[in-house]
Amino acid sequence: MALQTKSASRQRGRARALPVNSAAPYLMHIDLNSCFTTIEQQANPLIRNKPVAVAAYTTPNGFVLAASYEAKALGIKLGLNVRQAKEICPEIIVLMPDPPKYRAAYTRFKEVLLEYTSDVTPKSIDEFVIDFRGSAAIRAGMTMEEIGYEIKQRLREHIGEYVSVNVGIGPNRSLAKLAAGLHKPDGLDIINAQNLEATLANCELMDLPGINRRFKARLFAAGITTPLEMYNADPNFLRNNVFFSKLGDMWHARLRGWEVDDVEFDRKTIGHQYALKEKTFDRDKLCRLLMKLSEKTGRRLRKNNLVAHGVHLSIRFTNHTYWHHGQKTEQALYATQDIYRAAADMLRGIGQFPDNVSLMSVHVFNLQDKSPEQTGLFDDFQIHQRRLADAADKINDRYGEFTAIPAVMAGMRGKEILDRIAFGSLRDMDDQMR
Amino acid sequence: MREVINKEVSVVSFFSASKRLSLPHIVSWHGTEYAVGKIGFHHTIRKGNTLHHIFELVDRDEVLWMRLNLDTSNLHWTLEAVSDGLAD
Repeated sequence: MALQTKSASRQRGRARALPVNSAAPYLMHIDLNSCFTTIEQQANPLIRNKPVAVAAYTTPNGFVLAASYEAKALGIKLGLNVRQAKEICPEIIVLMPDPPKYRAAYTRFKEVLLEYTSDVTPKSIDEFVIDFRGSAAIRAGMTMEEIGYEIKQRLREHIGEYVSVNVGIGPNRSLAKLAAGLHKPDGLDIINAQNLEATLANCELMDLPGINRRFKARLFAAGITTPLEMYNADPNFLRNNVFFSKLGDMWHARLRGWEVDDVEFDRKTIGHQYALKEKTFDRDKLCRLLMKLSEKTGRRLRKNNLVAHGVHLSIRFTNHTYWHHGQKTEQALYATQDIYRAAADMLRGIGQFPDNVSLMSVHVFNLQDKSPEQTGLFDDFQIHQRRLADAADKINDRYGEFTAIPAVMAGMRGKEILDRIAFGSLRDMDDQMR
Repeated sequence: MREVINKEVSVVSFFSASKRLSLPHIVSWHGTEYAVGKIGFHHTIRKGNTLHHIFELVDRDEVLWMRLNLDTSNLHWTLEAVSDGLAD
């Protein structure tokens, strides 16, 4: 209702300040503390209460993907490499990621939440938003705080006794997430109309979910240095002097407890990325990796019953320079070979490499449903390619990934592209769980 | 330190009908029988059509962590890795 008011007033040129949403807070944000390392510490009781890091590789240049609370307390954080982590703490236990285990924990996490309501939205592998409005627990007279503590206990029973979560309760997604971050680890906080201003008064701008360094700089330039000043700012000022778009109105509504983030975005691309353990500029090796990336991308594309009309290839070099190119295709891409051919053409188009390749990614875009299949009169070859791809997928489903492989990949070691969890991309993870 | 083993091992397992739980009980490795203590995490993975149960556990004395894999196509147990819980 408030957003309609805002919309109407915008038509008159100026947005009116919104009142604070005084409705009872029924949105819960839950995140698992230090997800990957906590699950590893759950699985191995001998490494509990010790500094642990999960890194892309355990070799010195492998990047730290997650650090346990004990490691974080020493200053080890995401993005450091293993060498730097060991310089800070020589006793740190460094482990490779184990995606199937993390997916299993995610599934159990979700199962517990679905016992309460079907309105559960996964935000990433370790974060969920639950809308409890109309749920059986609320109808039975439980308070949100009681539900939060019960969920904490149920997760310990269902995933493991070492697992703890942060629970945040608020009138909208953003404030619920802010509440979840107030007392880490194992916190439970509620933000409502009564304590909203007091809570914001104790926060920094970058504590607000979605406020990054760039936004903080913009806010500072406009004279806003605290969340409370942002909360009190006129919506027109936020729109015209800070965000220069409707983002200003959205932030005004968000900080006053109105929901503006309940949106689902369509999937736009499917792809796979690989950080090379052994950096190289050997084009034959890169072509084999490219084929494997194309196969992983193609498998996902086909599992989702989609075709694509474009390929994007990006390459990062050891000297931190970057090359990327996207190309639309007339032909619908479906088989791995179609994707590979388009990506390999782009790879050949690069002149001399400035340095060894350190990272390569292939994505397909302009996605469409595969069926109904539209083929031309003379498209026999394309139909055969598609059937071949489907047949190879069936073999790989039955006997394991990369049992049937394109000839280019012959001689590759099976683990040359490892199974990974894509941060923030649940659709990719859902594909891998199928 | 974590060490990759990947060797088939003898395992005594039990099934409790009342708890509806099937778990490894004794693991025989390197001439020693390890009574299973705490099960840290149990999950399943698929390799093609074959379901594998992965058990991560510690022995009853809590000095050795083991990762066991039960291949449900032949019911063979593989000790995939061990660890003493210390850094490499």
